[in-house]
Amino acid sequence: MPAVQETIDRVRKIDVDQYKYGFQTEIAMDKAPKGLSEDIIRFISAKKDEPSWMLEWRLEAYRRWLTLDEPTWARVHYAKIDFQDIYFYAAPKSTPGPTSLSDVDPELLKVYEKLGIPLREQEILAGVQKTDASELEEVSDNVYKSGRVAVDAVFDSVSVVTTFKKELAQAGVIFCSISEAIREHPELVKQYLGSVVPTSDNYYATLNSAVFTDGSFVFVPKGVRCPMELSTYFRMNEKNTGQFERTLIIAEEGAYVSYLEGCTAPQRDENQLHAAVVELVALDDAEIKYSTVQNWYPGDAEGKGGIYNFVTKRGDCRGDRSKISWTQVETGSAITWKYPSCILRGDDSSGEFYSIAVSNGYQQVDSGTKMIHLGKNTSSRIISKGIAAGFSQNTYRGQVSAHRKATNARNFTNCDSLLIGDQCGAHTVPYMEAKNSTAQFEHEATTSKISEDQKFYVMQRGIPEEEAIALIVNGFVKDVIQQLPMEFAVEAQKLIGISLEGSVG
Amino acid sequence: MNMHTQPQRTPAETALIDAFGERLSLLPGDGAVMLKRDDAIEAIKHGLPTRRVESWHYTDLRRLLNAVPDFDPAAAVKAIAPIVEGSAVLAVLNGVSSTKVPAVEGVTVQRLSEKLIDGSIAPGLDPYGSDDAIGALNTAFVADGYFVDIADGVELDKPIELQNLQAGGQTHVRLPLRVGAGAKAVIVERQTGDGAALVSSVSQLVLGEGAEVTWLIVQEQPETATHLAQFKAHIGKNAKLTLFVMNAGGKLVRQEIMVKTTGEGADFKLRGINLLAGDTHSDVTMVLDHTVPHTTSTEVIRNVVTGKARGVFQGRINVHQYAQKTNAKMACNTLLLSDDGEFSTKPELEIFADDVVCGHGATVTEIDHDHLFYLMARGIDEKSARGLLVKAFVAEVIEELDDETIVEALEARLDDWFVAHG
Repeated sequence: MPAVQETIDRVRKIDVDQYKYGFQTEIAMDKAPKGLSEDIIRFISAKKDEPSWMLEWRLEAYRRWLTLDEPTWARVHYAKIDFQDIYFYAAPKSTPGPTSLSDVDPELLKVYEKLGIPLREQEILAGVQKTDASELEEVSDNVYKSGRVAVDAVFDSVSVVTTFKKELAQAGVIFCSISEAIREHPELVKQYLGSVVPTSDNYYATLNSAVFTDGSFVFVPKGVRCPMELSTYFRMNEKNTGQFERTLIIAEEGAYVSYLEGCTAPQRDENQLHAAVVELVALDDAEIKYSTVQNWYPGDAEGKGGIYNFVTKRGDCRGDRSKISWTQVETGSAITWKYPSCILRGDDSSGEFYSIAVSNGYQQVDSGTKMIHLGKNTSSRIISKGIAAGFSQNTYRGQVSAHRKATNARNFTNCDSLLIGDQCGAHTVPYMEAKNSTAQFEHEATTSKISEDQKFYVMQRGIPEEEAIALIVNGFVKDVIQQLPMEFAVEAQKLIGISLEGSVG
Repeated sequence: MNMHTQPQRTPAETALIDAFGERLSLLPGDGAVMLKRDDAIEAIKHGLPTRRVESWHYTDLRRLLNAVPDFDPAAAVKAIAPIVEGSAVLAVLNGVSSTKVPAVEGVTVQRLSEKLIDGSIAPGLDPYGSDDAIGALNTAFVADGYFVDIADGVELDKPIELQNLQAGGQTHVRLPLRVGAGAKAVIVERQTGDGAALVSSVSQLVLGEGAEVTWLIVQEQPETATHLAQFKAHIGKNAKLTLFVMNAGGKLVRQEIMVKTTGEGADFKLRGINLLAGDTHSDVTMVLDHTVPHTTSTEVIRNVVTGKARGVFQGRINVHQYAQKTNAKMACNTLLLSDDGEFSTKPELEIFADDVVCGHGATVTEIDHDHLFYLMARGIDEKSARGLLVKAFVAEVIEELDDETIVEALEARLDDWFVAHG
C-alpha cells in the first residue's frame, strides 16, 4: 500500500539513525582468529613482515596491558568490552601493492567513491578533470598545485593505498603507512614511536601498542613546508573488528604540515571498538596542524550498536617556538573518549585545541584536551563547543597545567555548551593547575539552550525549524569551523546538520 | 589464605582506628547512634581517600594526613570575644559544649551530647557518600556541639556566634541549625584555637520557607592544625542563604560546602576568600545541587597564595533534570604571588536541564603590572602598592555583604592576616 510505504519512508527520514555512510561493502576479508593472545600479536607482526624489535615492543606492551584495568573516570557508560570476542586483525584479502591505485579491489574504490573522499585526484577541490590515478602519478612534476590532497586510506586495519607519493618524495616528505615505515625507515620509527605516548601510557594506548595493525606515517624534513594537505581516511567495515591504527607525524626544524583525518564506519548492530594512538612531534620552529572529522556510526535510535571510540592523541612541542594545533569535529560514535593534548616542552611553543562535539540519540561524548606547560613563555588556547540533543551526554574534560619552571605560561579556555531538549546533559569539567606565579590562566564556560528569540528570528523568514536550528548551531560553532581546512569546513557544516536531524519536536 | 590483602594502613589510619576502640565507651549515644558510628569507622577502615578518588583529586588525604594527635581531655581553652559586639556566643571548648547558654528569645539551644544520648540526631549522622571522609570521621567520633532552633518568624537583631575552639588533641564537633519559616538571622561560625589539633566540624543548616540567613565561617586555625570541616544546607522555598567563608589558617584544611536548593525561588550566594601562606595546604570544595525549578545561585571565590602554600578550589554545580530556569554563575579568581606556591581549580558544571543559564569563569594570575605601575607612579613603594592591590582584590568580596558591622568585623580579621603575613 503506497500510503503505508510513504509513512514508513517519512518516519525513517526523521529517525535519528540517518547515517549517511551506513552501507556495507562485500569484500573478501583476511582475518586472524578472534581474541587476543601473544600468538595473535605474533600473527599480526608476521603478517606485516615486521622486524623482531617491533614484535618485542608489541609483546612488552601486551604484557603490560594484562596488568592494567579499564579506566572508569570518564562520564561514559557501556557494557564491559569482551576483548576475546574481537577480531584484532582484518585485512582486505586482495592486499594491493601499496603504490598504485589500479591494483586496488574495485569494490574498495567504490566505497571511497560513495564516501566522496578525494582518493582519486580528480576530486581536487577545483574540480580537475577525471584522469587515471596512475597517469597522474606519472605527470606529477615539481609544480605543486594548491588544493590537492594526498590520501592514505585505511580499511579496517590496513592501509590500502597512499597517493601522491612521488610528488611528496620530491619535496623530501615521507608519507606512507606505518607498516611500510617500520620496514623502510626503521631508524625514524625506532626513534619516535612511543616517545610521545609511551606503551605504558593508559589502558587503550597500551592495547593499541600491542595490536596496532596500521596507520599513517609522516616525516617532514628540516625546513620543508609540505606541499599539500595530507589526509587519512579510516573506515571500519568488517563485523566484530577492532580498528587500532597508529599515526606518527614528525615535523623537523622549521617544517610545516597540515594533516586531515576522517573516519566512517558502516551501520552495524554490534558495538565496534576503535582504539587509536596518534603521536605528533614538532621540533624547533616546526608547526603541525591536525584536523579530524569523526563520523563513525553512532548507533541507532534506541542506542543499539555504534562505535566505541577510545583514542589517545598527543602532540609534543619538543622544539622551541614549535606549534601544534588540534581541530576536531566529533559527530559520530556511540562513545567518544578522546583528549588530544599538547606537551609544551620547548620555550615559546604554543598549542591550540578547537573542538566541536555534537551528540544526539544515545551518544556519549567525553572529550577535551590537556595543555601541559613545561617550557618558558608557552601559550595555549582552547575553544570547545559542545552540542547535546536527544538523550545524549556531552562532557568537556580538560586540563591546563603550568609547571614550576614554566614562566609566563599563558592559557585561554572557552567552552560553551548548547542543550537541545530536556533529556540530554552537558557537563564541563576543567582542571587548572598553576605552579608558577607568572602563569596566567583564564577559563570561561557557559551552558544554555538556543534562545526562542533567535529561533523565531530565523523561522519568521520562512526557514523551517530544523534548518533554523542547524543554522544557529553552525553560527555557534563558527569559531571552530574557521580553523578547519576548506575541504573539511564544508563537509563539517553538513555533518552537523545531519547529526542534529530528528532532534526537534 | 586470602591473597587480596588491603594496602598497608598509614600510621594516621591506624591511629584513628585505635582511637575509636579506646574512645568507644566515652562516646555519647547508643543504639541507632552507635550503629552509625560503626558504619563510619568501617568506611575509615577501607582507607582514607587518595587522589584517585575524584572528589579528593587535589587533596590526597591519605598522604597528607601523616599524624593524628591523641585525645587530650586535660587541655583547656577559654571563649573569645565575638567578632561582632553583642553577639550571643555559643562556645564549644576543646570539643565540649557549655551547660550555660545565653537566652535569646525565639531561639532554642540544646547541647548536642544530649541529642546523641537520646538518639534524636541519629538520622542526620549519615555521610553523604562513599567518598565523604569528613562526614565519616565526624560521625565516628562526634561527642558534642550545639543544636540550635530558630522559631518561625523570629528576626534576630544580633548575630549568634558559634565558636569551636581547640587546644590540641582531637575535637569532633557538630552544629545542626534549623531556621523556621520567615525567620532572619546572622550566624558566625568561628574555627580557631592554639594547638596542633585534628579538628572535624560539621555544620548542618535547614532553611524554612522564606527564611533569610547570612552565615559567616571564619577559620583561623594555627599553622599546625588539621581542620576538616563541612557545611551542609538545604534552602527551602523562597529562602535566601548568603554564605561567606574566610579561610586564613591551618596546616591542612579542607572546607566542604554542600548546598541543595529544595524549594522554588531559593537563592544561594557564596562569597569566599582564601588567604594562604607558609607551607600549608588548603582546599575548598563546593557541591551545589539545583533540584527544583526557578532557583538561583552565584559564587565568587578569591584566593591569595603566598609562600609554599598549595590551594585548591573545586566547585561543582549540578542542575537536575527538573530544575528548569536555573540561573547559576560561579567565578574563581586567584592571585598566585610566589613561585613556590601553587593553585589548582576545578570548576564543574553538570547540567541535565535545557532551559538554564549557567556559567563559570576561573583565572589564575599574578598582580597586574599596569595596576602596580599606576600606584608606583604616584610615589607608592612597590611593597605597599602590592599590599594595597592584594587587599583590594579580596576586600571587594567582603564589601558585597550588606551589613556594615559585619563588613568592618571581617575587614579587621583581614587586616590581622596581612599584618601577620606581610
